Amino acid sequence: MKHSWTIAAMLPVLFAACATPKGFEQPGFAFGCPIGEAKVSSMDDLVKLKTTMEGKRTTIMATEMRCAKTGDLMKIDANLNNDSSTVKRIAYKFRWIDREGMRAADEETWKPVMLYENSNLVINTVSPSNKAVDFRLVLRSQE
Amino acid sequence: MKTATRNLTIALAAAAALAGCAKEEKTSYGDARGVETLTNTFGSTDLQMIAESMARSMQQAPAIHSGNLPIVTVQEVRNKTSEYIETRAITDSIRSELQKGGRVRFAVDAVGMQQQTEELNRQQDSGLYAKPSAVEKGQMVGAQYRMEGNITSIVKQVKDKKDVYYKFNLQLWNIRNGLLEWSDEKEIRKTTSKG
Repeated sequence: MKHSWTIAAMLPVLFAACATPKGFEQPGFAFGCPIGEAKVSSMDDLVKLKTTMEGKRTTIMATEMRCAKTGDLMKIDANLNNDSSTVKRIAYKFRWIDREGMRAADEETWKPVMLYENSNLVINTVSPSNKAVDFRLVLRSQE
Repeated sequence: MKTATRNLTIALAAAAALAGCAKEEKTSYGDARGVETLTNTFGSTDLQMIAESMARSMQQAPAIHSGNLPIVTVQEVRNKTSEYIETRAITDSIRSELQKGGRVRFAVDAVGMQQQTEELNRQQDSGLYAKPSAVEKGQMVGAQYRMEGNITSIVKQVKDKKDVYYKFNLQLWNIRNGLLEWSDEKEIRKTTSKG
């Protein structure tokens, strides 16, 4: 009897933990990344919010993105996925935004990368200065 | 007379034909930060990627991150590749990136020292400047860290395929105690095939 009470008491705690995939996230952040007022309830929402394509479009998609603070700088990990059966070449850059929504740094250089067929590649970066509080990942095809 | 006229006509016709064959020159502005793949020698994209990657990495080094605007001097980046690379352009770009980040100050380096001392001498010794406004000698600040590096390459070519691998290594040394405070590398591989 005592045992079942303990289990019953633990269940809601366990469910509550499962219901918050973002963990102990502060308001305005999802998976550690700044989201402002946007509604982000899943990783897909975050990736859509933070990724844009410019120029020649590519089939390479960002599938995961995580951010963390390193001192007063922002560290970003983004997973790019090539689900096709051919090698793909793309270029990417991050665009940095300050507190006022303006460019926090000069335009970055396009960085060319190659993704093997049916593979993932994690790209990472750190914000150029503490003025950069938000970002966009920009992708374009290099083929 | 008739022959002379005929020759002149032929010459004019040839000149007109050659002018027609000459390709029209067209100039346009491009993206200075775009991916440049004209040849597989060291290019602008390589320089920019190296500078960005090194500056971002160095900003996270404890010596820079936790220091109170540490003073760094830039030393040589040795070019150990088989091609001519203006390594000063790489260190200049790294320095600009770091300066914009606002975490580091740079002391005058060996390359700029002559100009610095010439200016000090001009202000102090030429007798042209009012004493209160002329900067005093002996007030320069020494660097706490020095930045130096290497760029190496491995080039392989088989028939119509050429592979170039670059490795850029940058180090931050503590001048006082000789300790290596930070070091990082950036690798680039470029392959060119004809046809």
